[in-house]
Amino acid sequence: MIRLEKVSYNYPDDTPALKNINLGINKGEFIGVIGRNGSGKSTLALQLSGLLKPDAGRVMIRGMDTREPSKLPEIRKLVGIVFQNPETQFVGRTVEEDLAFGPENLCLPSIEIRKCVDMALAETGFEKYRYRSPKTLSGGQRQCVALAGILAMKPECLIFDEVTSMLDPESGITVLKTVKKLNKNGKTIVYITHNLEELHDVDRILVMDKGNIILEGVPEKIFFDVSLQTLGLALPSLIELAENLKMHGVVIPWEKTSSPQNFAEEICRLFLKT
Amino acid sequence: MPIILKNVNFSYSRNTPLETPALRDINLQIERGEFVGIMGEKGAGKSTLTKLFNGLLKPETGTVRVDGLDPSSKEVKRRIGMVFQQAADQFFCKTVYKEIAFGPLNFGYSKKEIEERVYEAIEAVSLDQTTLSRDPFSLSGGEMQRVALASALALRPDYLVLDEPITRLDPIAKQEILESLQRIKKMGTAVITVTHNLKGFFPLLEKIVLIREGRIAFQGSRESYLEKGYTPLPPIAAMMKELRSRGLGVNPSIFTVGDALEELLRVKSVLEKESTQK
Repeated sequence: MIRLEKVSYNYPDDTPALKNINLGINKGEFIGVIGRNGSGKSTLALQLSGLLKPDAGRVMIRGMDTREPSKLPEIRKLVGIVFQNPETQFVGRTVEEDLAFGPENLCLPSIEIRKCVDMALAETGFEKYRYRSPKTLSGGQRQCVALAGILAMKPECLIFDEVTSMLDPESGITVLKTVKKLNKNGKTIVYITHNLEELHDVDRILVMDKGNIILEGVPEKIFFDVSLQTLGLALPSLIELAENLKMHGVVIPWEKTSSPQNFAEEICRLFLKT
Repeated sequence: MPIILKNVNFSYSRNTPLETPALRDINLQIERGEFVGIMGEKGAGKSTLTKLFNGLLKPETGTVRVDGLDPSSKEVKRRIGMVFQQAADQFFCKTVYKEIAFGPLNFGYSKKEIEERVYEAIEAVSLDQTTLSRDPFSLSGGEMQRVALASALALRPDYLVLDEPITRLDPIAKQEILESLQRIKKMGTAVITVTHNLKGFFPLLEKIVLIREGRIAFQGSRESYLEKGYTPLPPIAAMMKELRSRGLGVNPSIFTVGDALEELLRVKSVLEKESTQK
């Protein structure tokens, strides 16, 4: 679906942001990206969506080169991106108007635009905010509107750049559930975060540092890699507890460490033999 | 002397068709030297609440007093330091030094006094002296947040109010801010933070204020918050709560890995003993 070939990119002041990145993303894959501030995660996201062009190498999105201006309208339809600060992407006076902006720009007939908006509101559970101004919503609600705005464009691949960092844990879980559901329905997902817990069930994790991909693999392998500690990424507490319990002969399987509920269920099964 | 809110109500866009109630029947007292977490879901009214403390917003009805003073007084602006989520939003000076000196300058302190306060503030947040000559906008996220903290500290506030101060930082920068806040708290300043980040803040909180739909759903110690089973909870505490709801008699006030391990092994051996006795 997306392929990066020897991609390098420097910030305007010539500091390297990405160094010779090679990466392939398959259709339907759920990829997690983690790394320190300034490691190049957001630059990678902008490259994947064709919003930035590489200084060297090329980014191919379903066979289309992002350096080719004539391909950009098609690329914009295929790849959608949700940013850290949702407020920077609002244009409409009401939520509904904001969601219509993308499909409008794709020159769809108004009946189609309405369908896109309704679908996006339904997918995010935001029907009741249809006529509110995005400015009157809280940070978390705005993030959901931003996501809905991208969904209205019906992209095949969605990129999320630290979308839950501002949310309370419960809304964070809701957003993540929505993202997982979109993936199940066939969308390709690239999910950037500081929070290792959120990447428990992804297909593949990329760890970035200083413009390089320093580690790549399935969560079960990446979570335990010692180099994560140097990036300040501590093991999520439930997994740390599972590791400690293992030393005392209580084995909690990986998939049961994904949530407190699953963990507790497994403990009860083991302890109460139910 | 504390911050006291009595029977406070507040609505946005009052007396217009867009009037939205934000806070209802708020009664709250925050003492100096406390480490307080204000928690709650998105849109619950947490940020609105903190803006009442120093008069950024005025209550519709009810009273707010800071050490007995009206929040609109200049002295309250000194006593309460505010740091918002996006540090860069509050920067406008060309160097970090000027940024931190801006507050004390407005209070008319002498040049020498201002310099003393700037150095004291950067020390409290572990910023290097070489940072002082830099452009605040050229700093990393963690450094920016520490400059914002230092700017607030330069007025030697009695209460430091923070709105989600670590959400946008990476784990190492988060840790640095948490350590600075602990130091500031030890110096006798109350630290009051709106937070969702249970992982970082929960172990530091002495008091929790939980806001739900504009009302205070809970205020009290962390222990009583855990015992009463309020949410949100850090993952370990959530897991222990789930165990209790499934009938396993574990201690509800546990939220760290070490304590949980000890408790689970204790419960396991009790259960094993019971089953051999049968």
